[in-house]
Amino acid sequence: MTTDTTDSDGTSESGAVGVGDGADVPDRIAEQFENIKRTRRRRAFGWLGLAAFLAFATLQAFAATELLNPDARLETFVESLTGFFPITDYFGVIPFLDIGQYTSFIRQENLLYDPDIGGLLFQFPPNPTDIYAFFFQELGIFQIFGEAGITLAMGFVGTILGFPFALIFGTLGSERVTPFPFNFLFRGTMSFIRAIPAIIWTLIFIPFLGLGPASAAIAIAFDTIGNLGRLFVDELEEIEDGPIEAMRTTGASKPQIVFFGMLSQVRTGFIAWTLYIFEINVRAAVTVGVIGAGGLGYVLTSQQNLLRFTEMMATLLAIFLLIISVELFSQRLRSRLRSDDVEMSLWELITGFPRRMVNSAMK
Amino acid sequence: MTYIEVDGLTKRFGDTVAIDDVSFEVPAGEFVIVLGVSGSGKSTLLRTLSGLLSPTEGEIRIDGDAMLGPRPEVAMIFQQHNIIGDMTAYSNSLSGGVHRAGFLSSVLQLQDTPEKHRALDALDTVGLLSEAEQKARSMSGGQQQRVGIARALVQQPNVLLADEPVASLDPGSAQSVMEYLQTASDDRDLTTFCSLHQVNIARKFGHRFIGLRDGEKVFDGYRDELTIDVIDDLYGDIDTEGMFVRDDDDDDAATDEVATT
Repeated sequence: MTTDTTDSDGTSESGAVGVGDGADVPDRIAEQFENIKRTRRRRAFGWLGLAAFLAFATLQAFAATELLNPDARLETFVESLTGFFPITDYFGVIPFLDIGQYTSFIRQENLLYDPDIGGLLFQFPPNPTDIYAFFFQELGIFQIFGEAGITLAMGFVGTILGFPFALIFGTLGSERVTPFPFNFLFRGTMSFIRAIPAIIWTLIFIPFLGLGPASAAIAIAFDTIGNLGRLFVDELEEIEDGPIEAMRTTGASKPQIVFFGMLSQVRTGFIAWTLYIFEINVRAAVTVGVIGAGGLGYVLTSQQNLLRFTEMMATLLAIFLLIISVELFSQRLRSRLRSDDVEMSLWELITGFPRRMVNSAMK
Repeated sequence: MTYIEVDGLTKRFGDTVAIDDVSFEVPAGEFVIVLGVSGSGKSTLLRTLSGLLSPTEGEIRIDGDAMLGPRPEVAMIFQQHNIIGDMTAYSNSLSGGVHRAGFLSSVLQLQDTPEKHRALDALDTVGLLSEAEQKARSMSGGQQQRVGIARALVQQPNVLLADEPVASLDPGSAQSVMEYLQTASDDRDLTTFCSLHQVNIARKFGHRFIGLRDGEKVFDGYRDELTIDVIDDLYGDIDTEGMFVRDDDDDDAATDEVATT
């Protein structure tokens, strides 16, 4: 940083000499030049001080996290890694990652697909009674995906249940809707909810609904109020005054002004944020599963307890697949919402997919 | 009969005086154009008339009642049209009449059929009936402004305030928006206030003119009194020559005067 300062100072000095032809640089230019030089030097000292402080603080943090003399066991770690990645020698010579072990565990524990429920839907010839049973008796739309379906459902229920409350708290938390000191009643509530992660909320709800997906879904819904509501407040900060004034001049009531003048401006924004929170909630559903609430997270932690690392890795793959699909789905939908293009029909969305893939691959 | 009465109106923003002791009376059904350069107080006057701003001193009485806040019988059209881009032209038009509906019925668009016919009739007045189901955001500037007029009409006002309704439009759209505004005002017998800075458009559509300069009323008169001297006075040092050029179907003395100079 200091080198940089001298460097640029040197060039500007020679530049000034070139222009002023020696010593007869006007005073005001010389003075301003001195000013700039002083400012730059002061700034360089400032940055140096900041860097030194950061280094010092980092050292202390290392000490606090016991990273200064860690209890490292490299052999155990490498051993567990070989458990994660089972190697089989094909034809007795070529070492190869044994994917079969993953898939067999994924199938055995119904991580991604439940054949008992899926069997109702997929049979030839199709059986109307079974299809009816699939949709209306087994309620199988989520359950067909096995453990992944449970995790997905926890995130989904959490988002759906949390949304209306997030909408109410977010709207009332906005300073334009509720006058200054009172809006902090709602913002404060949301801050409090946010301060406690979803996994802790699950612990709190266990006495109410027992350890299982039910309390996890409610906990995620609670978490959604805090997170989504906050995003709604932020979104409402950026709206224009015009439509609000226009609605005021029509003689609309206060709730009507809020709905037509404010909420109608942020409708797409709200839907996009809700989809984003849905993504986050599915991830949260994995983590709350770890403490025993069910779904993929629970499978993961139970395999870890048994030190069955290959099975753990198989579960991780299932989690990866679930999260990536949810993200792909939500991001596509959000970018479509954000763009002002003419909306595609569902049919076009599906049939036009290969062409659009080719188009974007050619770019 | 006096319909709008402005008495000693003063509006200050901190130390800035936006409107300085302005008084006038307007009978029902007049088409008044407010003229002046930017910053002369046109917008403030209209916003105070609409009840969006409250006067610092003085009083505005419309139909005998003092304006203390926005009222359904006083509708406003904005320069930036301020319609809701995410809604269709029809929904925007319908939103002008929400003061007659409850919250839920207005949100779910459960107004009765006459109200919905009214919204479509207003769109018809501004020539947008066939575009009723188009998203407002996808419309042109002129069309959006006409949706704004439709919304104001659905409000069923007695007074129509238009704050520079054509300032951000090209000359063609400006002309047609002003024509729609005039038609709407005539058909429904509305007392109309329109602020403008294009003198040629003002002369073409105006009936009565109020000129503002630095927040003070410097002119108040009818069409034949609006001479080039008045314009010069309003616009100060600005070269007003050529301001009447597009006004070719008008054979007023003032126009000839400009044409010969």
